[in-house]
Amino acid sequence: MSTASDAGPAGAGGAAAGAVIELSHVSKTFESRSVSPVRALDDVSFRVAAGEVAGISGPAGAGKSTLLAIAAGHLRPSSGSVRIDGSEPRRFVEREGIAYLPQPVALPGGWRVSDALTRLAVLSGVRPTYTKHRVEAAMRELGLYDDRRRRVRSLKGDARLRLGLAQAIVADRRVIMLDEPLEGMSAGSLDRLRELIVRLRAFDRAILIASRDTAELQRVTDRVTLIERGRTRRPGAPRRATPADVEGVFHITLHQGGEHVLAVFPNAISLGRSTYAVRVTGFAALNRGLRDLLERGALLASVTPAHAAVDANSLTLNEVGM
Amino acid sequence: MKGRLTAYAGYQLRDYFATRALPTLVASGLVAWALAAARGMTLSDLDPTGGIDARDRVQQTFELLLATFGFVAGAVAAHGVVSHHRMRGYDRLVFSRPVSPVRYYTQGFVLAGIGAVVLGSVGAEVYAVAVHPVWLPGVAGYVALAWLLVGGLAFLLSTLTAFYLPILALVLAADLTLDHFTGALAAAGAGRVVTAIQVLLPPAHVLVSLRGAFARGLPIDPLAVGWPAGFGAACIIVAMVLLWRRPFRS
Repeated sequence: MSTASDAGPAGAGGAAAGAVIELSHVSKTFESRSVSPVRALDDVSFRVAAGEVAGISGPAGAGKSTLLAIAAGHLRPSSGSVRIDGSEPRRFVEREGIAYLPQPVALPGGWRVSDALTRLAVLSGVRPTYTKHRVEAAMRELGLYDDRRRRVRSLKGDARLRLGLAQAIVADRRVIMLDEPLEGMSAGSLDRLRELIVRLRAFDRAILIASRDTAELQRVTDRVTLIERGRTRRPGAPRRATPADVEGVFHITLHQGGEHVLAVFPNAISLGRSTYAVRVTGFAALNRGLRDLLERGALLASVTPAHAAVDANSLTLNEVGM
Repeated sequence: MKGRLTAYAGYQLRDYFATRALPTLVASGLVAWALAAARGMTLSDLDPTGGIDARDRVQQTFELLLATFGFVAGAVAAHGVVSHHRMRGYDRLVFSRPVSPVRYYTQGFVLAGIGAVVLGSVGAEVYAVAVHPVWLPGVAGYVALAWLLVGGLAFLLSTLTAFYLPILALVLAADLTLDHFTGALAAAGAGRVVTAIQVLLPPAHVLVSLRGAFARGLPIDPLAVGWPAGFGAACIIVAMVLLWRRPFRS
């Protein structure tokens, strides 16, 4: 059996709750009359817990998009079971909806950016009084506000991807699935995406991101599961930093007390939206700093490892041929 | 939080008029022109000032236009609703939202039917002002019936295959051709076989034969209307069941 469910603790999200997204022994074979059947997924088990940001990485054709499509209920598995919050995926999606970034981002080319987002907000069930606000907020967050009157067909690459992300976040969802959000993204957009993921992280939210870019995925997720030829491979180490790490960068998001950050972490860099990148030497230093912050009256919303353990994991990933 | 599909209806209706109304009018005009040319009709057939014969020719020309529009509008009403939506991959974005594919597609198809009836009525009104008075309720009723039969079949086929338009044209043409040779085939002793095949095929010939009654406001045989209406309604129901069981392409 190929499983990622037991690939270590849930991660820095500290998912104490049960699995929100759960694939159990899922296989998918695409049948065709003209070519021999293609086994896209082979006995894959995978879980994402509440509060967790999980990544799935692998080369093109490894089965990442198939896995996401099955998890989103767009494809039915040939065997195995899929549950979102305990329900069959389609049932969950039709009841609550999910934030989903497909690959590619396909929308009618004649729609204008703001019109497309408004339509999708309406379909998401965003109330009429909030629709305009939500659409504008999504456009501003993804840097699309100046493009709001442009036709979708005129958006290429990076801008199209940001539109895909904007439509995904135009409504609040407990389950978020992003398929290749890093593909072709500019450096500026990558920063936006990192900030977005930090903002989206919540105790009751499960986020699953698929990408070929293992290193970047490791930066933004709690753990990365490798997939190759339809089978998940046990990652060399969970994304969680270990005491052996001599140095690491963490993203700290505060609810209040941002003015104390520099006093505690002199090398902190503001990432916006009350989120700061801090470089610390080991867990002891991190926890000392956090305790100091709390004592000064700060309220902590989340702590996410940003760079920690990347090297250790990359080494392991190289060992398994990634 | 459920999707606001009712609120989305306005967008679907707008989409019909923005993307399908003009192609419907252009395609109807071209097909009608080709049929008229094949029958040796000329522009003088649109002049009602030459007595009762001239008025009859004008009426026949209008009936040709109406039948053509009905078939084209019915087919175009279903275009883009399911198959095209899936082929382009729009379904993944739309159906990650709390929206039922059955309701979304059926609503889009019904609204396209309403759009077709409105478009046909407006076109008939223009014809009435420019050429000769027409019975507007009859026009609306005929377009609605054509939408139910042709559109219903197109809706069903589009849930099954991306090549639904050629298949639709093929089965409609098969029924009309079979109807054309019914007399000869019955004389050759194949009457029962022809009847059996006609029951399976969409009753396009019945729809064509009803154009005069609708356009002239004559009494209409409910059984004659019931066949195409029932066939179309059955197609729509089967399409909805298929969408419920298989909302996505694969």
